[in-house]
Formats: sequence, C-alpha cells, structure tokens
Amino acid sequence: MLELTNISVNYGYIQALHGISMEVGKNEIITLIGGNGAGKTTTLMSISGLVEKAEGRIAFDGKDVTKMAPEKIVKLGLAHVPEGRKVFPSLTVYENLMTGTLGNPKLTKERIKELLEQQYEMFPRLKERQNQAGGSLSGGEQQMLAIARGLMMDPKMIMLDEPSLGLAPIIVEEIFNMICRIRNNGKTVLLIEQNASMALSIADRGYVLENGKITLTGSGKELLVNDEVKRAYLGDY
Amino acid sequence: MEYILNQLINGVCQGAIYALMAIGYSVVVGVTGMVTFTHGEVMMIGAFASFYIFQYAGSHIVLGLLGAFAASWILGMLVYKICYEHFFNAPRHISLICTVGFSMLVQNLAQICFGANKKPVLNIIENRVFKIGPVRISMIQVAIVVIVLALAVLLTVYFNRTRAGMALRAVSQDKSAAYLVGISVKKTAMIGNCIGCGIGGVAGMLMAIYYQTCYATMGSTMSMKAFSSSVLGGMTDVRFSALGGLCIGVIENLGITFSSASFRDAFAFCFLILVLIIRPHGFSVKKGARP
Repeated sequence: MLELTNISVNYGYIQALHGISMEVGKNEIITLIGGNGAGKTTTLMSISGLVEKAEGRIAFDGKDVTKMAPEKIVKLGLAHVPEGRKVFPSLTVYENLMTGTLGNPKLTKERIKELLEQQYEMFPRLKERQNQAGGSLSGGEQQMLAIARGLMMDPKMIMLDEPSLGLAPIIVEEIFNMICRIRNNGKTVLLIEQNASMALSIADRGYVLENGKITLTGSGKELLVNDEVKRAYLGDY
Repeated sequence: MEYILNQLINGVCQGAIYALMAIGYSVVVGVTGMVTFTHGEVMMIGAFASFYIFQYAGSHIVLGLLGAFAASWILGMLVYKICYEHFFNAPRHISLICTVGFSMLVQNLAQICFGANKKPVLNIIENRVFKIGPVRISMIQVAIVVIVLALAVLLTVYFNRTRAGMALRAVSQDKSAAYLVGISVKKTAMIGNCIGCGIGGVAGMLMAIYYQTCYATMGSTMSMKAFSSSVLGGMTDVRFSALGGLCIGVIENLGITFSSASFRDAFAFCFLILVLIIRPHGFSVKKGARP
C-alpha cells in the first residue's frame, strides 16, 4: 500500500530524517512510536508532501508520490489527520465533515450521504453537534471530528498523528476502539503515537523511531515485550 | 431634522459602497492570508473599465458592472501571480511590500494610459429624485444600494451553499489543514483573490457613478476606507467588515452635517481609532474560539 525507501528530510542545516524505510501493507494497522523530536510527524508530513524530501522514494498504491503536490496525494486516497487536529474553527461540524469530501472528486451525492451517516453512527456526538462551530468542540470531540473528516473522503489509507494527544484516558480508549473499527471497515491505518503501549497493543506491526532513524521493528506484540522498548517507551523494567 | 435625515440616507448609500469595498478586501485578506495594498488600484481599474464601457457602449449599468468585475478580476490574477504566488512560504511582509510597489506601478501606469485628469462619469443612471415625506432619495442611491445588496446576497449564497465556497472558507481559516483535506490551496486562493478584486472593481464603479467622476489616483483614499472598514470588522470577517463600511459611511456623512465636508476623512478615522480603543479586534466575535 505504502512504501518508503531511504527517505531523508532536512530542515535547514538540521537533518530530521536519516534514510527511513518502512512499509505498510493493505488493511494493516502500523504504528510508528518514538519520543519527542524523533521525526514521527516529519515522516507523516513527508508522506503527504508537506515537506520536501532530500533523498529517497515514496510509493503509494503503486504510484510514485515522492514529488507530488499534497492535494494530489490526498486525491489518490490517502487521508492525513494532522497533529493538533486542525479542524476548521468557524466552519460548523457538518461543514468540516463536508470539506473532507473535497479531496475525492469521484464521490457521488448518495455516497457522501452514506459516508456522513457512517460517521454519525460511529461518532454520535458529532451528530448532536453538527451545527456547532468546529472550534467550540472539546479536545476529544475535535479529534473525533478530525478523524471523521479524514474518513469522509473514503480513503484507502488513513494516517493519524497522535490522536490521543492531550485527551482523557477514557476518550483515548474510545478513539483506539474507533481505530480498530476503521481497519475492520477495510482501511489501512498508519498510526503515530507517544502512547506506545496502547498503540502497540492494537497494531499489527510497529516501527520505533529514534533521532530520525528506525531502530527497531517487529509485530506489535513482539515490541510490547521487547526490553529496549519497555525501557524507553513503556516505562517499566 | 430634515437635513439630518437626508444626510443619513446619503450616509447609508455611501456606507453601502464602503461595505462592498470592505467585503472585497476581507475576502482577499482572508483567502490569501496577507494584507494587500493594491485594493485601491484594483477598484480604480474597475472604475476606469466601466468608464470606457459607458463611453463606447452607452450607459448600460449591467454592462459596466460586468466590465468592472472582469477587469478587476484580471488585475487580481496579475496581483496574485506577481505578489503572492512566489511568496507563499516566505515571511508575510515580503508580499505586503510587493503589493505596495505594485499599487504604485499600477497607479502611475494608469496616469500615463488614462491621463491625469479627472474624467466625468455623467448620467449613467437617470437622475430622478423620489420624495418620501421630507426625505429625498435619488435614483442613483437606490441603484447603488440594490446592486450592493444583490452582490452581498450572491456572495453569501456562494460562500455558504456551494462546495467551492466552502473550500474558500476552509482555505481562509487554515491553509495546512486545507492541503490535507485535498483542496488545491493555491488555485483556491487565486480564485478567492480574484473574486475579492472583482467585487472591489464593482465598488470602484459605484464610487465613480456616485461622485460622477473617476481619476487615476482615486484608489488611494478608497483603499484607506476599505482597509479601515475591514479593520473594524476584524479583517477577515466578511459580514462584520460590511457593517464596518456601513458605519463609516454613516458617521462620515453625519459628521459633515455638523462641520465642513473637508473633515470627512477625519470623522472616519477618528471613529476607527475610537472603536479600536474600545474593541481592539473590531466588531467581530471569534466564532468557535473556546475561551
């Protein structure tokens, strides 16, 4: 589905990513974990074309997207739910969801309606608030809105950047349940998390990112019991 | 009393034109994310386009309106290509200074091409005067208010009911999020910029009809009025900017009732300063902002 080969990214003189290679298979949940400044968000931004790559190649769904404009990559069916949600603050919840459909010109009116129903069914709270401004929602609701907006374009794959950031544990659990449901609906998920134990417990495979390099990889369960991961990210010996 | 009422009518009419300028200005600023100083020149070009249409094709107001809109649209495209597109990721003051320079260029080119004299724009609309009780309303004023209202309604429908309008609003709120939902931000920003400029052009035409004259340097005062109105409305909020324009028009005309007409601008800007002292972000209430 998605293949990164030897991706390097520079911010000015600072090299943020040093030759990252990873692979996401169809209908998998893949998680990328790592500490602050490890390059997780940069990896996602380089996939969706928001930062320039110094080196390497990215292929999505069999097409080379390395130098493609961000909006074109989205149109191939790759949704990116950014860190910090980024809902449109003065658009209503309904309008926010509808902006999601702008990324997929192939959607028919009926299909859009269907997708909207799906999101409302999955996130009932959004339906209650559909005429409220996006910026007036709570953090958890905004996160749900951001995910639902990504799903509105009926993507093949969705990338989530720290969906649990700053949310109460109970909401985090709800969001992780949603992520499993998204995969069960036939979508591929690339998940970036600081909450490593949660992420690894639902992931098929995981990559550990440190200082812009991938240092470890394995199935979610393997990484959960890996001593190195335990020491660095799970906080128990 | 009669005089004040009539001045109020004049104020509303003038305010309607300012409102239209401010609407155009807010659309441009919102969608490009940068302050523009070419708006006055855009309006001037609109006025001249309609002037030449009136001269060669007769006094057809609709034709003039379309011409003004189209000419300003094209100038808007130029402004976008020259002043914004390359500097999208650069610091904002670069394109700001670029718009200042571009406005000087356009203004001086206009003086060369159109001449430095004032041009008369006479009898575009038959100058009938209606009397309602003590109030006198001229046909021109009615036409101006009708055109402004019609455009405002059209624009509201476009922004709130169409997918293209929604994309425009999304771009003006958060450009990086707009990229991520698959909006082609640059194209949308250009169209938004052109729509704003086109509306400015129509406002310029109305100004020329109202004052029965147009000239190459008319843009500078107009752009100050558009800018102030838009600041009153919180820069990017279209509705509040329109309200700001209306207020400035009314204040100006009521102000000169009590003093001389040369204090017109003084009243406008004093009002602006007073409002900003009391409400630093203008009239607008940030919708969707959590306290």
